[in-house]
Amino acid sequence: MTRERFDPITLELLWTRFISATDEAAAALVRTSFSTLVRESYDFSCIITDESGQSLVQATQSIPSFIGTLPATVKHFLEKYPIDKLQPGDVLITNDMYQGSGHLPDVNLGKPIFYQGRMIGYAATCAHAPDIGGKIRSPEPREVFEEGLQIPIMKMIAAGEVNETLVDIIRKNVRTPDQTMGDLWAQVVALDVMEARTIALLKDAGLDNLRDLSTEIHTRCEAAMRTAIREVPDGVYRSALDIDGQLDAPAHLEMAVTVAGDTIDIDFTGTSPQVDRAINSAMCFTFAQTVYGVKCMLAPNLPNNEGSFRPITIRAPEGCIVNPVFPASGGSRMLTGHFLGSMVLQALGQVLPNRVMASPGSPHWGMNQSGVKNGKPYANMLFYSGGIGANSLRDGISCLQWPGNTSCTPIELAERIAPFRIKYKRLRPDSGGPGEFRGGLGQEILFENRSETPIAVSFLTEHILYPPLGIAGGQPAACGILEINGQPAHAKRQHILNKGDTVLLATPGGGGLGDPKLRNGARVEHDLKQGYITDDAPYR
Amino acid sequence: MSGLSLAIDIGGTFTDIVVYDPQAARHYIHKEYTTPDDPARGVIVGVKALLARDGIAPSSIKRVVHATTLFTNALIERKGAKSGLITTEGFRDVLEIQTERKYELYDIFIEMPRPLIPRFLCREVPERMTETGQIEIPLDLDAVVREADALVAEGVESIAFMFLHSYINPAHEQAALEIVGRRHPAVHVTASFEVAPEIREYDRLSTTVANAYIKPLAQRYLDRMADQIRELGIDGPFLLMLSNGGLTDVAEAKRTPIQLLESGPAAGVLAATYFGGESGVDRQLAFDMGGTTAKASLVDDGEPVISYVFEAAREKRFTEGSGLPIKTSTIELIEIGAGGGSIAHLDELGLLKVGPESAGAMPGAACYGRGGTLPTVTDADLLLGYLNPDFFLGGTIRIDPKSAEAAFADLVRKTGMSVIELAWGIHDIVNENMASAARVHIAKRGRDPRRYTLMATGGAGPVHAYHVARKINLRQAICPPGAGVGSAMGLLMAPARIDRVASMVSLLDGLDWKTFEGAYRALESDASDVLSRTGADMSGYQVKRYADMRYFGQESEVVVALPPGPYTAASRDAIAHGFEKLYRELFVRTPPAVAIQMVNLRVSVSAPVPGGGMALRGSRTGSAADALKGHRRVYFPDAGGFVESAVYDRYRLPVGAQVAGPAIVEEKESTLVFGPGAACEVHASGSLVVTLPVTEG
Repeated sequence: MTRERFDPITLELLWTRFISATDEAAAALVRTSFSTLVRESYDFSCIITDESGQSLVQATQSIPSFIGTLPATVKHFLEKYPIDKLQPGDVLITNDMYQGSGHLPDVNLGKPIFYQGRMIGYAATCAHAPDIGGKIRSPEPREVFEEGLQIPIMKMIAAGEVNETLVDIIRKNVRTPDQTMGDLWAQVVALDVMEARTIALLKDAGLDNLRDLSTEIHTRCEAAMRTAIREVPDGVYRSALDIDGQLDAPAHLEMAVTVAGDTIDIDFTGTSPQVDRAINSAMCFTFAQTVYGVKCMLAPNLPNNEGSFRPITIRAPEGCIVNPVFPASGGSRMLTGHFLGSMVLQALGQVLPNRVMASPGSPHWGMNQSGVKNGKPYANMLFYSGGIGANSLRDGISCLQWPGNTSCTPIELAERIAPFRIKYKRLRPDSGGPGEFRGGLGQEILFENRSETPIAVSFLTEHILYPPLGIAGGQPAACGILEINGQPAHAKRQHILNKGDTVLLATPGGGGLGDPKLRNGARVEHDLKQGYITDDAPYR
Repeated sequence: MSGLSLAIDIGGTFTDIVVYDPQAARHYIHKEYTTPDDPARGVIVGVKALLARDGIAPSSIKRVVHATTLFTNALIERKGAKSGLITTEGFRDVLEIQTERKYELYDIFIEMPRPLIPRFLCREVPERMTETGQIEIPLDLDAVVREADALVAEGVESIAFMFLHSYINPAHEQAALEIVGRRHPAVHVTASFEVAPEIREYDRLSTTVANAYIKPLAQRYLDRMADQIRELGIDGPFLLMLSNGGLTDVAEAKRTPIQLLESGPAAGVLAATYFGGESGVDRQLAFDMGGTTAKASLVDDGEPVISYVFEAAREKRFTEGSGLPIKTSTIELIEIGAGGGSIAHLDELGLLKVGPESAGAMPGAACYGRGGTLPTVTDADLLLGYLNPDFFLGGTIRIDPKSAEAAFADLVRKTGMSVIELAWGIHDIVNENMASAARVHIAKRGRDPRRYTLMATGGAGPVHAYHVARKINLRQAICPPGAGVGSAMGLLMAPARIDRVASMVSLLDGLDWKTFEGAYRALESDASDVLSRTGADMSGYQVKRYADMRYFGQESEVVVALPPGPYTAASRDAIAHGFEKLYRELFVRTPPAVAIQMVNLRVSVSAPVPGGGMALRGSRTGSAADALKGHRRVYFPDAGGFVESAVYDRYRLPVGAQVAGPAIVEEKESTLVFGPGAACEVHASGSLVVTLPVTEG
């Protein structure tokens, strides 16, 4: 069978139109969703795949956590419901931690697309639900069962007929039944948009299916990624890291990046075993976060599809903290997974010194509070980030999320939502790792509880025991600090605050790059004048 | 009796000057190169040239209306005044910490917008307001004086004040403003409650600081322009266009120049709105394509869509979140793609891409023969026969097809495709990019794109309108008179308009209706005071009330047009219904049983300006045949390639004339292109109305 060829113009046009189809679907999802994570933080993804589950396009605004997860989920859909068990009007659903995106709030929906009587592809979307039941988000759940409702792969809609039993079960198990179901219907709207646009595009382009187009796209992306990898000298590059983990029992991450010709193999052998806390990073999330690092470094402009990632293999021993097995919990998977992209940078940075940044003060920190405000129960999460690592062109940026990307709640809103007075929110001088290029600064925020009734707080923190490291002679950043009433507090346990109690969050800075002694004197002067550093000792 | 009006629009490359004579219903256009070192110079040269050319006496001009990109450029180039900030103790880093969110996910070398004020000039003073507006820590006035003195000693020309929760109680900002204003009368001062009294400290601060930063420059520039215009012998009022499409006087413009950032593009949308209305169209996709950029805005029910936040000085073009947030009311303009100067190239995947790199004004497109060697959209348009080598900008610039063709050599070699295939590819890809962006933008508002009419302005807009409109499946495209100087035309038809905003965070069902009504009255009285000073005709005074509303627990609001006041408890249902109706329109469904919350109150007052408005009449003499300049071969893939197409002179096409595609209509500043199956008719207002062949889908 001969494959249809696409010239550089036809392909560009078709591709643009398919991207626009997923962007339209994303707009529909954002418009109809209740979740602020979807609406403000783009914590979702929309894709169109060919009949085998290979993705052609992904919506432009979509965070890195979903790289490769949704196409993999579609393949799981196809395993359980092969083509002969699918009908027009079906919508499949799952939030399985291992077959989805690594934690239960992310709900995946897929709709097979039929054209000229044949199944020719899939529209799929994943979005962070407002609530999925279970324990309020913290690192404490020991098993996935504590984290909420699990929905196995099944038909939410079968040939247009809604599975009302499933809907009832979902509604009964979540704190926000209207919002959670509302968001699922918003996802269905997005699927319908992608289905309609795909069919119109096939008609317009005179194509019978998506296979040739998908092959063309993947072939080109794969070739571009291979070209990028070929520029990296062959070798085995290692990166190892101790992280806070459960604090009482830190975890160890170990990565060996083998570059051979135009392929990269990343192996996590040597990494700590999975733990009975919700900080395990399921393999799907491990994949997404790891290839994020590769992409940032080698091919930041390449589209996210399997073609781009075909030359990359990622392996981790079963049962380790980056490839846990059922029923390990993973609600706070980012506390482990958010290190992986940076580890790739540190490993390959040994041979690509001009494309690297030192370790950022990530994952970002969070404070979850629940209690009673104005007589009503409330729960809320506030996020604060650390500094970015220095790179080979310039100093790291202060207080910026990486790799996550949720915006920080403004102080004036936070004081309305939560019963806190925020005393200060300021840069932490000297928290950036010294270097020829200095790491970005972390920040310190002091909260005072004004609630008459006690409130419970839990935290997402890292880098309290181990600082973000420098690179190429750059020095580490300052560690993070959590204090309650001026005393160090255990960051992985729940605490109760009474009126007048204070909480200090001091997020870590980013690591430095290069020998600080080589830093341009004018930059040191500038840092002193601006108060980014208070002491130039590391630079003398 | 009404005199002549003079419109001046200073853009990046050209300064457009238009004089409108209401008695004769005629307009006169002149284009002058912008003089960035002293923009007033180019204006004066241009105005003199136009007046001399058309024999117009300066004294017959009774009104001058002005738009400029000067302040936007000062932000982009960071060329404003050395400024300082005084803020609440503990929070001076709000300016640098920003939103903590990246605008680009995969770029580890990302640069965030650099604050307009460096950290050492950001000073803190003890004071604290609570979220309900109670004073928790009184303002330390000694500290204010101390810090202001220190800033002045550092040489700042302008000081910004922003205290937490001042949107609800500005007492501390007022006190600080007063004491510093008295002590340092030569220093410019801006407080956040004056420019953006809205909750969310970073957005409010960013707006306040940007205003402080451009204020000294604005004052000098506007005074100089006013003087120069008087020296020309013109003594009518001098009015400025605001980003929201309204006019204001010099005093208000000098106080809050931040309201003028998007004045030129806003005026362009007004022109499109006006001419669309004349042709009986109420939903428009205003499409303005110039040399470096293409922008789109929506006009719904005859009104341009207004946005209450936009970004200035983006670090990365087309990338949301990479600029400085500015909270002022602005006609919503979406950058949807590249302009005529955008360069085509092959990317790392071997695909043909157009832009975002642009050849700009210098060297410009390869066909300009000024040293450009890379293929641009303009080069492609020329090779496809859309542009006339002998009549580009009315023949003032000669463009050369040979140079254009030579610029394609590298692409031809790499792709094995012909020059014409590539030229069409460039034209088609640019159109697809713009059509896709417009489709997504319309989808975000929950509207059906097919109900819109494309209004094409800008030098390249009418060249691309036909194919863009077909891609979005629109039925109609309109090319208004003076399409190539749309912004200057828009200046002539704007009303005076003043917008005001105040925060009032309260559940709808917990409102104190007296306070609520009082807040609107206070805003209206402040706004109408300023309005009456602009010389507007207050007999045509109009007031509109809006509110930013949301469901309790949400983090973002929608802006709802409210019924006219006065409000009492009986107004509750009408306000709630207005919100729910808009919410459903935007987001399909409303959540069940969630309380509605007010966040900000807004008013917009407007009144016509004497001598404003415009009635253009197309010529009524002659026939289409008289306007035929000749024929040339023009590329229309629908017709199988190059086809012999009629070329018309727009200035000689009479009202009612009908022209069938494929055809070209040329005017000095632009060229309208339409293909086979399309039919064009000259409307009574002078607009060219193109009915498009209907495609399926």
